[in-house]
Amino acid sequence: MNLNSHFPCGQTRREFVWQMGSGFAGLALADLLAGDGFNPLAAKKPHFKARAKSCIFLMMNGAPSQVDTFDYKPALEKYAGKTLPEDKKYINSGGRKIGYLTPAWRKFRPGGESGLLVSDYFPKVREHADKLCVLNSCHTDSHAHGSALVAMNTGKTLIGRPSLGSWAAYGLGSANESLPGYVVMLDKRGGPISGQPNWASGFMPGTYSGTLFRPVGDPILDLKGPEHLTPKAQREQLDFLAKLNQKHLDERPGGHELAARINSYELAYHMQSATPEAVDLSQESEATMASYGVGKHPTDEYGRNCLIARRLVERGVRFIQLYSGGGHLEETWDAHAGIESNHGQHAPEVDQPIAALLTDLEQRGLLDDTLVVWGGEFGRMPFSEGKDAPGRNHNPYGFSMWMAGGGVKGGMNYGSTDELGFEAVENKVHLHDLHATILHLMGLDHELLTWFHQGRDESLTDVGGRVIRDILA
Amino acid sequence: MNTHHAILTAIVFAVAGPVIACCSPNFETEVAPLLIKRCVECHQGQDPSGGLSLTSLKGFAAGGDSGDAIGIHLLERITDGDMPPGKQGKSQALPDSEIAILRHWVDAGADWPADRKLDYFERTNDIRSGRDWWSLQPLAKPEVPRLTTSVQPVNPIDAFIQSRLEAEGVPPAPPADRRTLIRRLYYVLIGIPPSEEEVLAFENDTSPAAWTSLVDRLLDMPQYGERQARHWLDLARYADTSGYERDQEKTNAWKYRDWVVGAFNSDKPYDQFIIEQLAGDELPNRDEASVIATGFLCLGTWNDEPNDANEYQYERLEDMVHTTSSAFIALTVKCARCHAHKFDPVSQEDYYRMASAFWAGPLSKRDRKWLGSSTPEELGYDDVLGWTDLSANPKPLHLLKDGEVHLPQDVVKPASFSFIPKLEEDFYPPPAEAKSTHRRLQLARWIADPENPLTFRVFVNRLWQHDFGKAIVRTPNNFGFLADPPTHPKLLDWLAAEFSEQNYRIKPMHRLILNSQTWRQASIHADEKNISIRDSGNRLWWRAERRRLDAETLRDSLLSASGELDLTVGGESFKPSITPEALEGLSKKSSAWQASPPADQKRRSLYMYLKRGLLPPMMTTFDLSDPTQSCGKRDITVVPNQALALMNNQFVIERSQQLASSITRATPNDLEAQIKTAWAKVLMRQPTSGELQQGLAHVSTQSITFSKTNSSAATSVSAQAALLMHLRADQAVVTKDTPPRVKSIPDLSGRSHSASQTDSNARPVLKTDGFGGKPTVFFNGKNQFMHLKAQLLQTPQCTIVCVVNDLGKPGHREVISNWSGADGNSTSSLFLGLTAQNTVRFTNKFGQAGDVTNRNTPFVFTAVNGSVEAAVFQNGKLLNSGSSLGRRRLDTPWVIGQQGNINGEFWKGGIAEIRVYERALSGPERHEVEKQVASRYRIALEIDKPLEPSAMDLALASLCQVLMNSNEFLYID
Repeated sequence: MNLNSHFPCGQTRREFVWQMGSGFAGLALADLLAGDGFNPLAAKKPHFKARAKSCIFLMMNGAPSQVDTFDYKPALEKYAGKTLPEDKKYINSGGRKIGYLTPAWRKFRPGGESGLLVSDYFPKVREHADKLCVLNSCHTDSHAHGSALVAMNTGKTLIGRPSLGSWAAYGLGSANESLPGYVVMLDKRGGPISGQPNWASGFMPGTYSGTLFRPVGDPILDLKGPEHLTPKAQREQLDFLAKLNQKHLDERPGGHELAARINSYELAYHMQSATPEAVDLSQESEATMASYGVGKHPTDEYGRNCLIARRLVERGVRFIQLYSGGGHLEETWDAHAGIESNHGQHAPEVDQPIAALLTDLEQRGLLDDTLVVWGGEFGRMPFSEGKDAPGRNHNPYGFSMWMAGGGVKGGMNYGSTDELGFEAVENKVHLHDLHATILHLMGLDHELLTWFHQGRDESLTDVGGRVIRDILA
Repeated sequence: MNTHHAILTAIVFAVAGPVIACCSPNFETEVAPLLIKRCVECHQGQDPSGGLSLTSLKGFAAGGDSGDAIGIHLLERITDGDMPPGKQGKSQALPDSEIAILRHWVDAGADWPADRKLDYFERTNDIRSGRDWWSLQPLAKPEVPRLTTSVQPVNPIDAFIQSRLEAEGVPPAPPADRRTLIRRLYYVLIGIPPSEEEVLAFENDTSPAAWTSLVDRLLDMPQYGERQARHWLDLARYADTSGYERDQEKTNAWKYRDWVVGAFNSDKPYDQFIIEQLAGDELPNRDEASVIATGFLCLGTWNDEPNDANEYQYERLEDMVHTTSSAFIALTVKCARCHAHKFDPVSQEDYYRMASAFWAGPLSKRDRKWLGSSTPEELGYDDVLGWTDLSANPKPLHLLKDGEVHLPQDVVKPASFSFIPKLEEDFYPPPAEAKSTHRRLQLARWIADPENPLTFRVFVNRLWQHDFGKAIVRTPNNFGFLADPPTHPKLLDWLAAEFSEQNYRIKPMHRLILNSQTWRQASIHADEKNISIRDSGNRLWWRAERRRLDAETLRDSLLSASGELDLTVGGESFKPSITPEALEGLSKKSSAWQASPPADQKRRSLYMYLKRGLLPPMMTTFDLSDPTQSCGKRDITVVPNQALALMNNQFVIERSQQLASSITRATPNDLEAQIKTAWAKVLMRQPTSGELQQGLAHVSTQSITFSKTNSSAATSVSAQAALLMHLRADQAVVTKDTPPRVKSIPDLSGRSHSASQTDSNARPVLKTDGFGGKPTVFFNGKNQFMHLKAQLLQTPQCTIVCVVNDLGKPGHREVISNWSGADGNSTSSLFLGLTAQNTVRFTNKFGQAGDVTNRNTPFVFTAVNGSVEAAVFQNGKLLNSGSSLGRRRLDTPWVIGQQGNINGEFWKGGIAEIRVYERALSGPERHEVEKQVASRYRIALEIDKPLEPSAMDLALASLCQVLMNSNEFLYID
């Protein structure tokens, strides 16, 4: 009788190996992969051929206004000063003043051959109009930043689920074992509301959670010890450790988990050089740096992050999320106080870096394999927060995001909001649809990519989500 | 092939046989199971799909919305593959053999016995469990098996395990040696390692009762409750904050944690333990402690700004249903929120019955300050995190179709679950005078009922899991259809029955387990290679499981090895130091985190504050459970980040240095003895002669390396490289006034942060024979100050060394500052000065940075801000230290002699020299700099020796650190 035929939770052996085999580096795994060291982020085959090997998610934290950026609504000019029709129902987030329909704060102009309309908040991104697939009909499940950010990242408004990047890292592993599979770079002004749960791995092992990267110095925690522990001194420590561990292992035949830990020290030693190298921009030409706006106000920070994102893509990192805006209110895209004052500050910080990223990826032949996603956790209302008030309140009912590169059509709009830009009406894209599509482009079937947890096959899109076939190239 | 599968196959053949043969299939054995398996899920209940109920002849005969009778239409839909409908794009069409059964049945007139009602949950089939599922069957104490080939063991546990090994022809591992045993026992029972002395004492204890008395001793230690409580807190999703945007502190959550510790230490019977947590407020003999116990219900995440407050009540219900059912009965009841459970006999009504127990509590939107829990008035106690009903007669709870709030169905009658018919009962209404519904009390009593088949199986399984490293049912939070089958079902039942005979006291169960031969066997087996091919999962328990230390035991072991572990029991949680880099993930950054004083941080990890928005990175790296949901089993990963943490994390470095310095103090000048002590402290044994030689070689190599990088010359060179600004009064450019006024001071660092003042009235005065006879700039405390050129610091990490005296009157006054209220950094600027009480303040964050003495006399005034700690020194002597200043806004104009741009808080007194470094200097570096300036101004330093360890100390610390990284330290055999 072979007792190995038992697999927990009634799963088939194949599913078990797939879930545990690369993910759960537990003792059960050691049993299965007898003898071999294992890395939970080892590269895995996708469900089908991937269109994008990596994804860069440009997260506009705080929620940009769709009617001022990528969703042109001439009707707002016609109805300016009027109130939203009464049949339009919504939750007044934060109980703010309800004002009047207000047209776009900056002019929209056509870009590229497609003539896609993009406002003057994004003149440089507009030059890439033919690469953009703008989803004008997005909608989400919460009007509050805290839960909407978590929803955009994990599929649900409740904290505790794995984030999109965790699912990608779990599904695909990393193509570079010296780097994390899923990297998050925050805005210097602060993290997103709700913090860590935005990039956590929830009920999956912590290995799949996002690793916070800092753009300067040591990108990850505990990469370097105190100064006296030079590489030479640390090598001596590791050599000594290896001797002790080898003797310990020799006395414990079959100690696969012990062998794996011995290997993990060598891997860690490599990470100490590989990780700083990945963010070392001194290897970039001055022209490249300048194109991203590195070293110039106000593009330096996001420019650096975008450039590092490209370097991480080159090095096989699967999922990279770059936050624009951090902390609260005006330090983010949360333009209650004024669209022009807020977006007028934040858009110039990211416009050139994003445009440069698209150019750079294209020139290096990486854009075909890299999916770039842009958007916030929701959108903003087409009306103001009071008479002549310059800001707009939260709007989860209709907003715009865009994708470019890795397997999506360019120069197109998909779906639409009503004539006022208030709610998605045509070809609505729920955030589950967005997630399903991103996973699909990365070669993963959102219904098959499951993690067995507490009696249930959990997935990013739960029982919802559909791949938006019309935008696939 | 396993036997289970063989039986299933046999059934399939038995079923298929008669279909081919002839005539009408048997309704009971062929048709009913098929209908239950394939159709009844949707075609039952209050609102059956398509209006067609397939649970009785009546419903079947009546047909559905599209008419039909006696199954002709039904057969068509099935044959066409329309039914059962596809799921998530995948066809659910029936196999031909099943269609054939139905066809023959319909052809033969679709006979359905009139009184036969089909029940979706009546029996287990190959896709889900029914009420006949093993874990739902009544508990009976099985016979203890008799061994046939070897001596019958005394301990029944061994009889169960060995009889199975005997049958499989697998010999168990030999007993573990005493050193292994005592270490394993300490970790299992109290979560901290024994000292070398304790190991030796046990090794040398020849009395027959050595082992049992050791077990008893540990069971009586307060650390026992702490260790056991940690497992329970995982199940209770314990954390100290609420999560989401504001992540508010659940101020008194720690009292619940202490209650759990106390319950284990006093060996509170488990049935009582259950009842108090679910209904401590409803007990006739309720007291503050039992109300604190209801904190169990309040520990979930809580969003003060949900999208829809009404819907959010149902999310909170799910949290409570899920946590309660996972922790106590290991069933995934939450899966039945929207529909009948897909795998287990849990109806949707069952879900709402359980939910009804919590429905009367504070679920709806109320004042934020109560964080979704009950108020002191409602609870009857102040400063308690607890739960009680808002009324004894809450509004009715409706079953929600598909879990949708806008699709309410019938009102749910509060009752216990249907899946254990023997114990199924409506809840009685609350007594007339009651303030609460008494539903939770009834739910709790149902769970704790001696006849509940789940509760005690589930708990003894957890005990086994924590004592052995793996459970009998390896899915400890799921005993349903998708559970891992028990490795030893009869043993599980025997243990549960024994637990009941012990009146649900836990300590006797530990005694029983820990005294077994099974528990005491070695983790190494002579025939490992062959047996592991057959049973790699150790399901037969042919050896002990090797375990890695979890996050808490690892951290506690490090503190224990360095001799620093503070064993104070109970009280508020401490906040560990977290580097500013790790705090960047918070939307409010470092302002949201204030670490506890270093002394408090030496307490056991159980007492570490768990903030949901920022779990301590070192702990999550080592697989801390995620506190959003009940967790019955932690992940055990092997990732390089763990190696990085143990190689580089400041906490680990500090522990190794602390251990090294205590060893050096104890046995100075005897390296061999020092190395032996290091081994004894970390690994609880003496090194072998080979290891000793390797240790000596390591220390020797490292000391050479460190002496090169750590010499005094190297120290000042490296400090010099970090120098950002160096102003010295003798360099001042002055006016021709008498006394001369200072126009500017060039920056000697070469980094161009010169000081200047163009407003002639605001210029300070230069005295050529100032401090120690050297030129010194004097400020009048009224209007004199100087501007610094450009942004001085890029990061808040810095060292400021200046030579000053203070003649100021009470009131704030600053030496250096970039405060700028207009730019919004009033609470995030960086400055160094004194308060009205003549105490130091080093930014607003570190407002109590110590008292200066003899302030009129010139002194060396030093402030250091590192990644973890900030500290202020006067004449080399530490005045005070605190946690790092965290994030600072540094891009506003810098000045010396007043508080930034406030035009006030002017310095009165002299400043002879200021040096600013772009990082926290090490102790020796700082000391070198202080020595230089002190001697220039003839100031006596109060501390003459460097505080940091020598190259030799560092080399010994390096050795200690390597031992702390070793697998021998990290794993329990």
